[in-house]
Amino acid sequence: MRMNAIGVLLLVFAPLSNAVEPPRAVVQGGHDHAAMSGAMGARDMPRPTAWTEFPTLKTKMSGANRESRIITVVPQNIVAANIDAWSNNLQDADAHRQLPMELGGARLDKPTTGGFQMLTAREEQGDAVHVASTVYYFGERSAKNPTAMFMQQKNELEIIPQPFPREHSRYRANEDWQFLARFNGQPLAGQKVDLSTSNGSRMALMTDAAGVLTVRVPDDFKMVEEVKQGGGHDHGARKAADLVLATQHVANGKTYLTAFNSAYGPDAFDQRNLALGLGFTLLGMIGATPLLRQRKNKKPVVVDTNNKES
Amino acid sequence: MLKTIFPTLTRFRFTVQILMLFVTVYGGVLLGTYTVDRISQALPSLACAYDKSTGDHCILIVNQHQFHHRIGEALVKAQEITYSILIPTAISVATFFAFFFFLNKAFCGWVCPMGTVQEIVYRIGRKLGRPLHRFDRGNVGRVRPVKWLMLLVLVLGLPLLAGLGTVSNELGDPFCQVCPSRLVTTLLTADVEQIAVKTSGGISFFLGALGNTLFGFVIIAALAVRQPFCRICPLLSWNALFQKISPMQLVKKQNDKCDKCSVCEKACPMDIHEIGREHGRKAFHEDCTMCGRCVEFCPDDDVIQIKFFGVPLFRSSREQYKQRVKYESPEGMPKRRVIPILPKQVHE
Repeated sequence: MRMNAIGVLLLVFAPLSNAVEPPRAVVQGGHDHAAMSGAMGARDMPRPTAWTEFPTLKTKMSGANRESRIITVVPQNIVAANIDAWSNNLQDADAHRQLPMELGGARLDKPTTGGFQMLTAREEQGDAVHVASTVYYFGERSAKNPTAMFMQQKNELEIIPQPFPREHSRYRANEDWQFLARFNGQPLAGQKVDLSTSNGSRMALMTDAAGVLTVRVPDDFKMVEEVKQGGGHDHGARKAADLVLATQHVANGKTYLTAFNSAYGPDAFDQRNLALGLGFTLLGMIGATPLLRQRKNKKPVVVDTNNKES
Repeated sequence: MLKTIFPTLTRFRFTVQILMLFVTVYGGVLLGTYTVDRISQALPSLACAYDKSTGDHCILIVNQHQFHHRIGEALVKAQEITYSILIPTAISVATFFAFFFFLNKAFCGWVCPMGTVQEIVYRIGRKLGRPLHRFDRGNVGRVRPVKWLMLLVLVLGLPLLAGLGTVSNELGDPFCQVCPSRLVTTLLTADVEQIAVKTSGGISFFLGALGNTLFGFVIIAALAVRQPFCRICPLLSWNALFQKISPMQLVKKQNDKCDKCSVCEKACPMDIHEIGREHGRKAFHEDCTMCGRCVEFCPDDDVIQIKFFGVPLFRSSREQYKQRVKYESPEGMPKRRVIPILPKQVHE
């Protein structure tokens, strides 16, 4: 029944997105640094790119090794002359960079301060303003808190992660994450936000009175085919898919559409077994139990430490 | 004023331990989500990166990643190890050292959440009247090399081999997979994900099963053995590499009475018998966690001291010893409690 619903959704969205293959859960390399460090899966591997009609930013990583890493930002469903990159260090000379579009995308270099980079692309055509946004993370010791950077106004209509998963963490199925929807810096209460995932989930959500949207990341990995893609230096293969949140607002005769996209992983207990874990813990406890036994024929005595002097 | 609040060094240390337990386990909640990016990311104690609300994380996960991803991968691509590869590793070690330099191994005895939890469990064991098992001079030497083996194999060796492609990538951070602090700290935040063993691969499953078994063993053993995991912790050996060059030192003067007195040995939670027998640099053993119990329980004036840049911060005194034993015995037995063991009956 659920698969049928997905099939219907695919039929609806296929003409919009020129999709040529069904959505797939991608088993991709990389531990949580990579999993959280960018949109659209963070790896330079072919992905079904047309699973959504909303504007998104795809980050691709290439290069021989970490030292010569090249990050390419590819806008999808949006035409932009450049990508805006916002550093988490607002005092940095590179706090706001405009990355020119080149063949294949815009090149994103690691700023000296590292840390979180908010990436946005903007397209204006007539009365329509479209914005795509995502976050990329460069591992950096003592990187500044990115909250102020996230909250800095970059466009009229914005979806802001609150917070974005930090290092060694990422969006995962069945977890609740919050986002702020705002227009010209003012929270949008009761604003409709659409959630789409590359695994085929679609749902409409609503912000609360404070403009905060609480998203329960869909657990939709089981209903799609898993494709294992080799390579990479993973700590065991990890599945990843993409999600996008999009909202629209009309003001001053213009229609604003903004979208925020990121990668997400399966449920925390995917490929884990709690019962076995508890069993092995119990085994260890039983193994240590003999240490707790008192030896027989030993008379308990009172130790009066007041008399213990050398 | 301070004397009233903290009548003993142990009371002061325990207060610091509890405070640091909150910082290392719940610091992200208390100080902000991104605090973990801003303190050191190379803490010389077992604050766990798997704890989603930690305020900082230990250097061992960084070391494993660097040996796995940087050095190992650079070697396998037949490139020379360049400065650009070595510098991040050097920065991590330097950051670790910057912290470690001032406090030395006090990170083990005062900051480490795993050490604090084991001490609390040991105190519960005393309240429950469980026996005390100690390592005597003869068998303590069998345990001591294990921490070096853990460092060389689990923190450095296997991650490097994983980066080289010689062993499975599942062995990229093997120490974290068996570290009981990963389970203790995440469970303290009501997160049961880590206690569920991975079933994604044979090696992951084996490491997870081993880690859970070790965790179960340590938690129960800590009721009857002081600091059971600290004895094999690779951070103890990692810290030991630098302990002699820190300005914070444990110093012991030669004293004729030491031959007849072994109170400091009994007080030591790591069963360092050298503190009673040796003096000078030898007394500051690689297993020392700088908890200061030997100083507190030394019954002679100024024989054992903790010095910072040569200035005594804390020193032994007879008066202090008398005060200290009013609360508990050197082994940590609460005063005037029915205890089912005597020093001679201690299980070796």
